[in-house]
Amino acid sequence: MASINFGYTISKPRAIDVDRNNLRRSDEILHEMPELQTCIGCGSCTAVCTAGNLTEFNFRRVHTLVRRGEYQGAYEEMNKCMLCGKCRLVCPRGINTRGVVMLIKHKLGDL
Amino acid sequence: MKKVIIIGGGAAGMQTALRLAERGIEALILEKEAEAGGKLRGWHALFPTFTPAEEVLTELRRRIEEKKIEIRTRSEVRSLTPKSVTLADGQRLDCDAVVLASGFTLFDAAIKEEYGYGLYDNVFTSADIERMLNEGRVARADGSAPQRIALLHCVGSRDEKVCQQHCSRVCCITGVKQAMELKQRFPEADIFNFYMDIRMFGPGYEEMYREAQQKCNVHFVRGRISEAAPTLDGRIQIKAEDTLTGRPLRMSVDMLILLVGMRANDDSAALAESAGLQRSPSGFMAPRDHFLHNVESNVEGIFYAGTVTAPKNIGETLNEAIAAADAAADYLNE
Amino acid sequence: MKFYAPFCLPFIIGATAMFAIVLGKWLVWLLRLPRADKMLILRGLPSRATFGAVGEVFCESLLHRRIFRVNPVLGYMHMSLAFGWFLLISVGWIETVAHLGFRYVPLQGHVFFKYFATSLEHKPFFDFAMDLLLLFVLSGVALAWGKRLRSKALGMRRTTKHVLGDRIALSALWFIFPARLLAESATCALYGGGGFLTGSLGGWMHDRIGMLALMNLESAAWWFYSSCLGLFFVALPFSRYMHIFTEIPLIFLRRYRLRSGEKATSYDRFQLEACSRCGICIDPCQLQSVLGVDNVQSVYFLRDRRYKMLRPEIADNCLMCGRCATKCPVGIDLNTLRLNSRNRLRNLPDKRRYAYLKETDRSQGSGKVGYFAGCMTLLTPRILQAMEQVFTAAGEQVWWADRDGGVCCGRPLKLSGETDAARKMMRYNTELFRKHGITTLVTSCPICLKVFREDYALEGIEVLHHSEYILRLLRTGRLRLSHGDTRYTYHDPCELGRGSGIYDQPRAVIEAMGQLLEPAETRENALCCGSSVANTAISDGQQAAIARSVAAELEATGAETIVTACPLCKKAIARGATKEVHDLAEIVAAHIRR
Repeated sequence: MASINFGYTISKPRAIDVDRNNLRRSDEILHEMPELQTCIGCGSCTAVCTAGNLTEFNFRRVHTLVRRGEYQGAYEEMNKCMLCGKCRLVCPRGINTRGVVMLIKHKLGDL
Repeated sequence: MKKVIIIGGGAAGMQTALRLAERGIEALILEKEAEAGGKLRGWHALFPTFTPAEEVLTELRRRIEEKKIEIRTRSEVRSLTPKSVTLADGQRLDCDAVVLASGFTLFDAAIKEEYGYGLYDNVFTSADIERMLNEGRVARADGSAPQRIALLHCVGSRDEKVCQQHCSRVCCITGVKQAMELKQRFPEADIFNFYMDIRMFGPGYEEMYREAQQKCNVHFVRGRISEAAPTLDGRIQIKAEDTLTGRPLRMSVDMLILLVGMRANDDSAALAESAGLQRSPSGFMAPRDHFLHNVESNVEGIFYAGTVTAPKNIGETLNEAIAAADAAADYLNE
Repeated sequence: MKFYAPFCLPFIIGATAMFAIVLGKWLVWLLRLPRADKMLILRGLPSRATFGAVGEVFCESLLHRRIFRVNPVLGYMHMSLAFGWFLLISVGWIETVAHLGFRYVPLQGHVFFKYFATSLEHKPFFDFAMDLLLLFVLSGVALAWGKRLRSKALGMRRTTKHVLGDRIALSALWFIFPARLLAESATCALYGGGGFLTGSLGGWMHDRIGMLALMNLESAAWWFYSSCLGLFFVALPFSRYMHIFTEIPLIFLRRYRLRSGEKATSYDRFQLEACSRCGICIDPCQLQSVLGVDNVQSVYFLRDRRYKMLRPEIADNCLMCGRCATKCPVGIDLNTLRLNSRNRLRNLPDKRRYAYLKETDRSQGSGKVGYFAGCMTLLTPRILQAMEQVFTAAGEQVWWADRDGGVCCGRPLKLSGETDAARKMMRYNTELFRKHGITTLVTSCPICLKVFREDYALEGIEVLHHSEYILRLLRTGRLRLSHGDTRYTYHDPCELGRGSGIYDQPRAVIEAMGQLLEPAETRENALCCGSSVANTAISDGQQAAIARSVAAELEATGAETIVTACPLCKKAIARGATKEVHDLAEIVAAHIRR
């Protein structure tokens, strides 16, 4: 496989330019779900993910990008989630992952 | 002659007793097991020098014998005050001060059911590996040599799902140490350490980590194993996210080793309550403060040594035992 | 005889407005019903269901039998107000007839009969009867006052918070009967007559108050009484008292088999406005009792939805454990209403979603019996291994649907309101089951079980929870278990017990292996483990707090082992327990006799 296709591309611009990204929505999301900030990026959520087992969906990656102000494609990606709740059952930080999926869809649905 | 009761006959308890003896104070060690030595007894070699645990233990025991310090084994403590300790059989022992050196409990890996400990063959804990190293026979359940080994960090540490939020500190370096020991025994084997964060906090640790990577070719994968399942040929299939590539990872291994964390003892709540001692949210005892009174409890006359207050390595524990003994001696000589 | 005085005006206006609005509401709701529901009504009307409904209206709307069962004092309060008032009206009617024979008397003539009947000969029986009934109602009013002041005295830890319309109607209602007592007593003071209550009070007033003052008092009291009635009637359709007139059609419609579904319909209005906001649903709610969350309970959810101020965070914050629904005296289908509110807030009918499901099939093995572990069971391998041992011991050929990862059953998605997307998962799994030709589907997960039974079209495939399947193996002798002396306690998973009505099967299996000790709240009243997939609002710490309280109750039985029959409950309770927590299948596997 030549490149990883996550359903959207981050190739232009390649770098995450936090200066240019508008972090308002990201701040709103973190304000409503402050525990998302406690993610240690262990990848347990992605490893158990029922949807991630069948398609290229990476919950950890998507919410991390959203927190950096990279919203493009996040809504479509989160729509791949089946909300089965396995990730919530394994998250060592106790993050309400299903709530995060719903919140990101709610906040970024109009982009 | 003033008398101090030391609860716990591990490295911390023995070192405290030795220091008290030097300061001319009588010490009595209460050990709940049949033999003193604590967790050191089951350990093989100590990081970062691979010093045999037995060597440290033998020397401590020799000094204890030399100073004729009494160790009462099979003595479980039910409650304590600064002036007395009551055993499980109801017997009350009077004293002038108490040092609590009752250590920690290893996390029971079976609680993390998804890793299959106690359920599948070839899933081990770090304590099992130390025991096997001591027995001189590290092998899979069928006796064969492993070709591929995975070590998982943070089992029962930094995990709210098992109510253990704290970092156990020593598992990272233990994982590196065991990877190197296994590599030495099985030079052909591939060894993978699955970690969240690597915390190399002690002198020589970072160098050891680097050596494991450079000389022993130990692989480090950043991601927590989420599930383990047996394969038809008796191996273990593990799943994780390789977070540095952002892709799910599956692999079959011959051995899965769970680096189990340190947690507070089950009886710490009851002991704390009997003496009015404060505990930290992790369940370990809370010292009066972290700087100038870090071996003293909030109750005058009760002192702490070793991992009863938080996860520590052996060196720190031995140092702290001296500090606790000095604090107790100063208190009694006032 | 003239049956009009100016003070009647507030009553006449109020009553007319109320009947107009109530009838208008009924009509609109009925007309907006889906066609299928209208057909159900037409078919139900001439059937026995109608008679049943009449009886139920009497028992529930007047006597409030279900409230009695939950809380006798509260039941008495509601009954004295509803049934007492009803009797006051009907006995008053008879009194009028007794005096005047069958002739037309306008409504206010009946209601204010004491005022107009001063010239008529006294009938001591009716004087006594009407006073007795008034006392009966007044005792209810006194309890209602008491309940506001001290809810605990009525066996309720928490009582409902009100909206403005409620406050107006409530205040008016509280004063209606004391005002009536005052007005009738004043008339008795002037003209004599009255029973033990109005007569005695009238005599007392006659002795102490001057004639002119008494006449002014009488006039003012009747004005006050009429105004209270008028105000109450005008406020009624906009307040919780609308339940008086909504519960009646609801009972009929329910008997005609109308139900709320995952999409909102106009039938929901009947359920919404039938809520009397009695607050009985508050105490059973563990979000309230354990976490102190006090604005999400069914009573507030229904209120917010009725007044169109429902916020997603209220709709989402519910375990959907169903404990409140079992206690609801009106029998409102609270979970389904919550579900279709979430559907309205969250449903995303995006056709492209889950295209990736196409043609994935990771199932293993073959057999007439299929086993669907469910997502959660994949994280509890002990259950999986135990089921494998059970199947082997019974000699069952099994098709493993999702052992190497499958597709979610769709219920979590449905519970969060994305009902259309959930259908895609349901279709996928249905096709998978059909493709492999299974005739029995066993699952270890009650969440999956419920959706398989309720939303999947699985004709020809029998769906069983593993507790049912294991019991069947025992009864047919295909599996034999050894009996020991371990004492077990059993936690009813919400989706299995209240959700699917499976209470006895797991208990029978446990009793085949050891002694079963019931926790304080069990079966229909069993607590929720707190980790319900239906709740996306509470935090991990809050889930753990609920789990600890549940574990404590289970451990209080003195049992050595806690048994449940749901992977999620097992994981949740284990977080708060000091004793061992196992799934039923694990215990069974350990007791297999070969």
